[in-house]
Amino acid sequence: MFLRSATSRLIALHLALVAVSAAIVLSSVYFTMRSVIDSEVREVVEAEIRGLNDDYAKQGIAGLARAIERRLAGDSKNDAVYLLEDRQGGRIAGNLAKWPSAAPPGTGWFELELYRTDQERPAIVSAASFRLVGGERLLVGRDAQARTAFDRTLVRALGWALGVSTILAFTSGWLLSRVVDRRIGDIVGTAEKIMRGEMARRVPVRGGGDEFDRLAETLNRMLDRIETLVDDLRMVTDSVAHDLRSPLTRLHAHLDASLDESIAPEERQRLIERALGEAGDVLRSFTALMEIARAEAGVGRDQFETVDLGQLASDVIDLYTPAAEENGVALKRSGDGASVNGHPQLLANAIANLVENAIRHAPGTGEVIVDVSSGPIGATITVADHGPGVQPEDRSRILDRFVRLDNSRSRPGAGLGLPLVSAVARMHGAELDLGDNAPGLRVTLLFAPPLYPQSTTRLT
Amino acid sequence: MTRRILIIEDDAETAAYVRKGLEECGFSVETAANGRDGLFLATDGGVDAIILDRMLPELDGLSVLKAVRAAGMTVPVLMLTAMSAVDERVRGLHAGADDYLVKPFSFDELHARIETLLRRPHETREETRLVCGDLELDLLTRSARRASREIDLQHREFQMLEYLMRRKGRVVTRTMLLEGLWDYRFDPQTNVIDVHISHLRKKIDGTNELPLIRTIRGSGYMISADA
Repeated sequence: MFLRSATSRLIALHLALVAVSAAIVLSSVYFTMRSVIDSEVREVVEAEIRGLNDDYAKQGIAGLARAIERRLAGDSKNDAVYLLEDRQGGRIAGNLAKWPSAAPPGTGWFELELYRTDQERPAIVSAASFRLVGGERLLVGRDAQARTAFDRTLVRALGWALGVSTILAFTSGWLLSRVVDRRIGDIVGTAEKIMRGEMARRVPVRGGGDEFDRLAETLNRMLDRIETLVDDLRMVTDSVAHDLRSPLTRLHAHLDASLDESIAPEERQRLIERALGEAGDVLRSFTALMEIARAEAGVGRDQFETVDLGQLASDVIDLYTPAAEENGVALKRSGDGASVNGHPQLLANAIANLVENAIRHAPGTGEVIVDVSSGPIGATITVADHGPGVQPEDRSRILDRFVRLDNSRSRPGAGLGLPLVSAVARMHGAELDLGDNAPGLRVTLLFAPPLYPQSTTRLT
Repeated sequence: MTRRILIIEDDAETAAYVRKGLEECGFSVETAANGRDGLFLATDGGVDAIILDRMLPELDGLSVLKAVRAAGMTVPVLMLTAMSAVDERVRGLHAGADDYLVKPFSFDELHARIETLLRRPHETREETRLVCGDLELDLLTRSARRASREIDLQHREFQMLEYLMRRKGRVVTRTMLLEGLWDYRFDPQTNVIDVHISHLRKKIDGTNELPLIRTIRGSGYMISADA
């Protein structure tokens, strides 16, 4: 259970590392201390041996024995160990029961478990032994009980340290994983609510600015963006449903009426033709919607080529001139022309839509100018009419699909012309600007200049 | 001689609709509902034109087209697609299709294009003069004359008349004119082509002359000297 959480696993790993490093540190401390104690004991014993040697040299074996007895009596720590034996192995002085057979005189420094006369249990003794000039032998040592006690204290401390740090680590790990679990739980919970359809839910931000807050804020921004997109899509779907319902209803009504057997054949013919007209409108709207969607998705970027915008504009003018004249509009071209890297069909479609709009919304108002120029900040296409224009507050709105301003509702059109222009502009990284032509509407497409020249000079 | 058309189309209703229409126009029609059967029938030979859906089960339209062309067959192929005309057309034509039609289409549009595809070989020979009744078009001097009357045509008007006269007696749709003359593959929302035609018609058909340019209801236009 505990180890299922990623945090707990990390903490367990951390704990293990702490324990190992504590053990390494403590054991190195232990061994250092121990060697320090050992060498201190040796120095003390060696100093004592020198002192006893002096006593022996000055006062003989009896003096040595007295010195040993005196030292034993004055040994407050009760850790001194001596044994002085005569040539036959008889004990003269000291507190060891018996000469250790493993350490004949002259062994030098050794450590053995020996029985002291004043203690029941054997003691670990560090000692040196040697033979005196008169043939007697002497053992001088120290009971290692002090060191053993130190060992025990150290091991106990080590045990405590490990135990406490383990408990601390487990507790902090548990607390930490609870905190992390709760924060993650917030995110998981929000995600699940959103999946159940509560699209407005957001991950709570604690306000501390920590990693979880940063994650929550990023997730929330992402959710906002998705919500906007979903809303856009829903709006498009709604308007598609709404704006296509009317022509479909009329289509249905015309066909329904044409089934009436009592009507004249000419009337039936007329109804069917009107139904076909409605069907055609619906199909055109669908085609336009699809083109907009594709341009927005950037489909067709692989077909970009160098496009002569001036030629493109002239071709569009050429196509629309007769229709424009019938509507009392003269199409004029101006500007020195320009070339951009783009999709010729979509750009032509965009210019055609702008010209079509101008003819449709500004009939009988004289000139519509289509200008193509290459300025210092890039190529521009401008279509300017002298019609009623668009109020500044409506200018961004009419770029949305199916939006038709009230004063143009009576004229034909589906409200998909400018949205396509807008999508084509975005696809080409161009800026679409709707301005005042005083009077009239002036639509400008500004193409950013390419980052590198179209015709690169070949190095020879 | 009956002209044979192969329809490779998985949508049974579309296939039946096109088949019925073409049979009424005097074609003999075979249909295949998937790419593999279609390819088999196509390479069997003996068909004059193929109507090929872009998206098909088993073997998609483009693969069928490539296989047909790889077999060295030059039979005209008209591709059908539900996708956007702007991009798909290019790909389809690159793969060796002769023409391309975006769904949904009207039967008249399809019929007009099939007729054009079937006549295409005869158009390859160089012509310097096109005639329709008493209307003459000189392609070298780029001048037009109706009986003794000289007709002053602008560049596009001349192109439009040439396009119609090259397809004399056959229906030319508005989209065919847009594609053929402007290379546009989108539909203008307004009746721009109709206005062009009416301007042209005013110049061609004088008050007491036989109207040559006819409007074919629901499809497009046709130039013909037959009464």
